[in-house]
Amino acid sequence: MFLLDDLFLRPITSLLTVIHDMALQERYDVERIRDDLKEVRLLYEVGELDADAYERRKATLESELEVAEAARERLSGRVEVKR
Amino acid sequence: MSAEQTVADEKLYVYGIVEDEAIDVSTTGVEAASDVYTISHRKHAAVVSGIDTLDPDESDENARAHDDVLREVMTAGDGRPVVPMRFGMVFDSERALKNVLRNSRVELTGSLRQAAGREEVGIKVLVPEGGLTDPDDTRAAIEAELDDHAEDVEDGDLFSDRLLMNRAYLVARDDRERFDRAVDAVREGHPELTVQYSGPWAPYSFVDFTIATEA
Repeated sequence: MFLLDDLFLRPITSLLTVIHDMALQERYDVERIRDDLKEVRLLYEVGELDADAYERRKATLESELEVAEAARERLSGRVEVKR
Repeated sequence: MSAEQTVADEKLYVYGIVEDEAIDVSTTGVEAASDVYTISHRKHAAVVSGIDTLDPDESDENARAHDDVLREVMTAGDGRPVVPMRFGMVFDSERALKNVLRNSRVELTGSLRQAAGREEVGIKVLVPEGGLTDPDDTRAAIEAELDDHAEDVEDGDLFSDRLLMNRAYLVARDDRERFDRAVDAVREGHPELTVQYSGPWAPYSFVDFTIATEA
């Protein structure tokens, strides 16, 4: 019975690992956050964002970047971001 | 402040390299440096300012100051060739900087020749939020309008879904008016697009020169 449960659960465990890794990849995608920073800068420069909106979005993205860079450092080798 | 007056412990932030000549720069430098000056070795001179860190903050203000200094250096008078450094190049001492000028003199001479009489300009073209029905044709039409007036072109990263084009063009100073008119024609021909035309920049994308800081 124990063996049967173990085998039954194994695919679920693998799926959870995959989902967890995908979530990490999305959350700590440093390159994506850097691209987003460049995008908000560009939208500000061409007048599609006003100064307040730009500063707010920039501050949010810079915080995300800091977290993502630290996380990537900690998880070095565990999280590979595929682009 | 002259090179001789440089404080012993002060580090040197380098903007770019020019042919050795007296340069008067009034623009405020990186980290709000009030004094931008040159340090020479034989035929070449580095445009520098004092700084107290090896790792300057990559803020909008500092990045703008870096570009502004280079723009003033390259556009003063009839224009002057400059080999630009990327943001953040700091030397520990004047001696280390002069070593690089000494060891790189052949490459620097070649790079300054490449930069002479030319300017870099940037073109970013943004599509409306809903995109375009014929992006490839539109891009080809814009390239056809601009490319003939430039000596070289480099494609940049399309870092946003809104970007149809992100290019740097190397334009002879004598062709700038023709290039400006071509950009106007693109804007008039494609009112649905947003065209960001920037520059002149030092020729970052075209002058092939890298410094080994440990030299």
